[in-house]
Amino acid sequence: MTTAAISIRDVRMDYPTPDGVKHVLGGISYDVTEGHYVSIVGPSGVGKTTLLRLLTGLAQPTAGEIIVAGKRLSGAPEGLAVVLQDYTRSLMPWLTVERNIALPLRNEKISKANVRQRVKESLTEVGLEGSERAYPWQLSGGMQQRVSIARALAVRPRILVMDEPFASVDAQTRFDLEDLVLKVRADFGITTLMVTHDIDEATYLSDDVVVLYGKPATVSDIVSIDLAFPRSQVETRNDHRFAQMRTRIYEKVRGLS
Amino acid sequence: MRRIGRWLLAVLIGGWLPVLLITWWWNASADSTDPFFPPLHAIWEQFQYNWIWQFWGIHVMPTLQNLIVGFLIAVVIAIPLGVVVGSSRTTATYVEPVVDFIRSIPPVALVPIFILLLGLDSSMRIASITFAASFPILLNTIEGVRATNVVLLDTAMVFRLTRNQILWRVRLPNAMPTVFAGLQVGFQIAFIVAIASEILGSGFGLGAFTLIATDSFMILDAWTGVMLLGILGYVLNLVFDVVERISLRWYFGQRKLV
Ligand SMILES: Nc1ncnc2c1ncn2[C@@H]1O[C@H](COP(=O)(O)OP(=O)(O)OP(=O)(O)O)[C@@H](O)[C@H]1O
Ligand SMILES: [Mg+2]
Repeated sequence: MTTAAISIRDVRMDYPTPDGVKHVLGGISYDVTEGHYVSIVGPSGVGKTTLLRLLTGLAQPTAGEIIVAGKRLSGAPEGLAVVLQDYTRSLMPWLTVERNIALPLRNEKISKANVRQRVKESLTEVGLEGSERAYPWQLSGGMQQRVSIARALAVRPRILVMDEPFASVDAQTRFDLEDLVLKVRADFGITTLMVTHDIDEATYLSDDVVVLYGKPATVSDIVSIDLAFPRSQVETRNDHRFAQMRTRIYEKVRGLS
Repeated sequence: MRRIGRWLLAVLIGGWLPVLLITWWWNASADSTDPFFPPLHAIWEQFQYNWIWQFWGIHVMPTLQNLIVGFLIAVVIAIPLGVVVGSSRTTATYVEPVVDFIRSIPPVALVPIFILLLGLDSSMRIASITFAASFPILLNTIEGVRATNVVLLDTAMVFRLTRNQILWRVRLPNAMPTVFAGLQVGFQIAFIVAIASEILGSGFGLGAFTLIATDSFMILDAWTGVMLLGILGYVLNLVFDVVERISLRWYFGQRKLV
């Protein structure tokens, strides 16, 4: 039997605004299976980022609860790492790549040599070995996003949360980063939640695609992507079932069915 | 080698106008008999005599000492205060209007008040300098600490950095370029106030020296005073620039690429 790594239970979120309360999330329930890769898609402004902020403990839901590792979430949970869209603003420009990656390790009781070792391993995993001494702004956008991923991996998270991680890079880099994420998945099996606008990307990477729709948003569909791993950009995307699932998700996101 | 070459080029580009002006001044004033515009070579001779042999100790040292002590006190007060105010939005809304108001008073105008309060000795001068230099440092620190971008803070929070770590390792480094700009402005104001506080009542210091020389028609001496003030101001500013470039390499490197 599989267990839920994250359990989202009837989560509601309201924002107070000058013209009254805005209901953004209207009762979201979903269990993320341990080790699964789950994408959250939905129209712009539906509340995807809001849901991620709740999952990372950066905000508290108005109602409902989120259970992580058997505990009700309050504040950032242990063993969770993030990769955000805006890599130019999520890495510290005054720290070298090495120090950026080491920063979240400060509160873990591990020796300096071990920290260095972990940084090195993470950089190797994302294909950036030897970039320890560079500053983030000396690297290309795709490389900076790799550093963000390395930083997340270095904390050895059980849960990885990514908000449109590949939205600001060019198409080729995007494919490379997607395949990097698949490799990470194969290597570590981290439970991953990703928000994306790209339905193809969601289909390509995920076990489950969760579609949010409506005002307030609810889960309008959950599509299991039962395409075999390992996946490949050419074969997987040419699979006719890939096209079917993509179409189904597309229609849900557009509110067409 | 290439760096030296580039540096030389910069010196040449920046230096031609001053060199031209000084040469022109030197030649045009060579035969001057106007008591108010003595020949530059005479000023230069007097300059060496005054500032290398005679008055450095009694007139320059006190000025520099007051300047540095006053400025350092301002730094020690204003930066921590700015960090506290900048980290909390509510404190900022209370404190900022007051700060903005006091800051709008020309700092030199406050020197007489400090004379009233503290008399004419160096404690008055240091207090004036500290007071005047504090505001730009304070305001820039508030601004810099507050302007930390949300993505960075969110990231730090999710990675469970403590409040202290977020302050020391995220907010403060992020504020450093702005703080530095404040330090530089603060120092320039401190220099002005240091000289003004001597002009308004003192027997020592560069400001006093220059004023007394002017009042007693020792025009050569007055010129040497003005000249030294110019050179000091320039050199101190240069020192600032160098320290800034070295300690904020990441900032300038990043800016060059954008
Ligand atoms: N702090 C806030 N206060 C008030 N309203 C907010 C706040 N944050 C988000 N909202 C509103 O909640 C709604 C959902 O926002 P959210 O950023 O979660 O959408 P999203 O699905 O991530 O959109 P996008 O795809 O454009 O990134 C939007 O209408 C937004 O205006
Ligand atoms: Mg969003």
